Amino acid sequence: MLDDFLNQFLPSTVGGLVFGSIYALVALGYTMVYGVLRLINFAHSEIFMIGTFTSLVVITAIAPTAPFTGLAMVGVLLLIIVLSAAVSGGAAVLLELVAYRPLRRKGATRLTALISAIGASLFLQELFALVIIPWLTGKPGRNQQSSLRIVDRDTVFTIGNAQVRTDHIIVIVAAVIMMIALDRVVNRTKIGRGIRATAQDPEAAVLMGVSIDNIVRITFLLGGTMAGVAGALYLMEFENTVFNVGFVLGIKAFTAAVLGGIGNLRGALLGGVVLGLIENWGAIFLGSEWKDVIAFTVLVVVLMFRPTGILGESLQKARA
Amino acid sequence: MLLEVKDINVHYGKIAALKGISLQVNEGEIVSLIGANGAGKTTTLKTISGLRPLTSGQVLFNGEDISKLAGHKRVQLGIGQSPEGRGVFPGMTVQENLLMGAYTRKDDLTADLDEVYELFPRLAERKNQFGGTMSGGEQQMIAIGRALMTKPKVLLLDEPSMGLAPMLIAQIFSIIKEINKRGTTVLLVEQNAQQALKLSDRAYVLETGRVVKSAPGLDLLDDPQVRAAYLGGH
Repeated sequence: MLDDFLNQFLPSTVGGLVFGSIYALVALGYTMVYGVLRLINFAHSEIFMIGTFTSLVVITAIAPTAPFTGLAMVGVLLLIIVLSAAVSGGAAVLLELVAYRPLRRKGATRLTALISAIGASLFLQELFALVIIPWLTGKPGRNQQSSLRIVDRDTVFTIGNAQVRTDHIIVIVAAVIMMIALDRVVNRTKIGRGIRATAQDPEAAVLMGVSIDNIVRITFLLGGTMAGVAGALYLMEFENTVFNVGFVLGIKAFTAAVLGGIGNLRGALLGGVVLGLIENWGAIFLGSEWKDVIAFTVLVVVLMFRPTGILGESLQKARA
Repeated sequence: MLLEVKDINVHYGKIAALKGISLQVNEGEIVSLIGANGAGKTTTLKTISGLRPLTSGQVLFNGEDISKLAGHKRVQLGIGQSPEGRGVFPGMTVQENLLMGAYTRKDDLTADLDEVYELFPRLAERKNQFGGTMSGGEQQMIAIGRALMTKPKVLLLDEPSMGLAPMLIAQIFSIIKEINKRGTTVLLVEQNAQQALKLSDRAYVLETGRVVKSAPGLDLLDDPQVRAAYLGGH
């Protein structure tokens, strides 16, 4: 058993970092929206799903005969990342406009908004399964849709017995770049100050001349963009998607956000990576079919001892 | 007249918080609203700054009806507010809090920032400390300084003395006087009626959502009814 663990520890770590990067990118959207509106945006998982399908459509359209290399690969990657980010970001803004803003205007309770979120999540899943996916792909909307390979699985270097491949590096590097960019926006720009002010005290923010509607829209846009990038990376790495691909992944990302301390950007990052690593390490002992059980057990145990999550502070108190 | 409130009614759900309040603030004045808890003082300020919608009536600023204008736009017109409970951003430093006051401004801030630090030397010493870790008095200074950074024509102050030690209260009131001297009109809400009336050109007494009395501050200080109700009855 211990032998197994030692043998598989490094490969699992690499796999855990890849999953963790994707969880973290999606978790950022949950945590930002929560920070600003105190709302769990359950439809965020569908924003991620929309990102995967955007990439699928783009890849299918450019129909590569073989995986790309060199500059062509970078170009195709940038294309799917940028387009998925744009479509998911736009979808998130639209979602807020349709599902949440009218309720906010009327001063609805948070529970009402939560129900609207769950409704929007199911609506988007079914809309894709019944209409959009068949229209985009010509195949039944509830089937797994597989994508062509755009990046070869070449080993770039090895650490012990772990092979670190090109695609692993792409996922991790892209995720890190996006997170640094988001951190900069939130901590160094005027818009970022508006977001933090709204999260910390919305009434005081209005008294400073901050338009809450505007900040909420930008928050959804940023969160959606991150989920779109996550969708592109997911499709590149796993090469398939389905109308409800966001369901379990979204709950895991939400778990990551809570694990790190919801409302805290760096917490979402940490929670994502920790969750990815722990479920992969745990799977060595129990088998990968236990991954989800491991993930949620970790959540329950952490919250028993640290109800505010690992980093504890929320967006109201933390700098980020 | 800089600011005029005309017969406003404000409701929380079905409960009427303000029942036809009217008041005027002229340029250069310090005007106080005094009254017991729940009289509607804070609601009046929040309605002026656009945090609460009104059911009926009008808020005029420089003669322009701003009753329907969104709160964040009123800041740009020149209505600055230090809110009840101070509303300091806890996760921002003193300096970041002050800069939030200049959120909509595009002009040079150095002179105004220097002026705030000169009015509140305590803040200058603690520029990089987080707002949430400051004492109540220091947070009040941040809230007032931050409102000044919006470059207000009228400064709305909601209970600036709340929860402060007597020494600090005297200091805050003398700073309010100084701010007014430098040309900012002040509308002050206070529980501490004695101090507020001494400072004010005029004052309004509010009871359960209505104005029951209005007069120059010093006259109210001598008014037997006001003394009995709000000044400890001597």
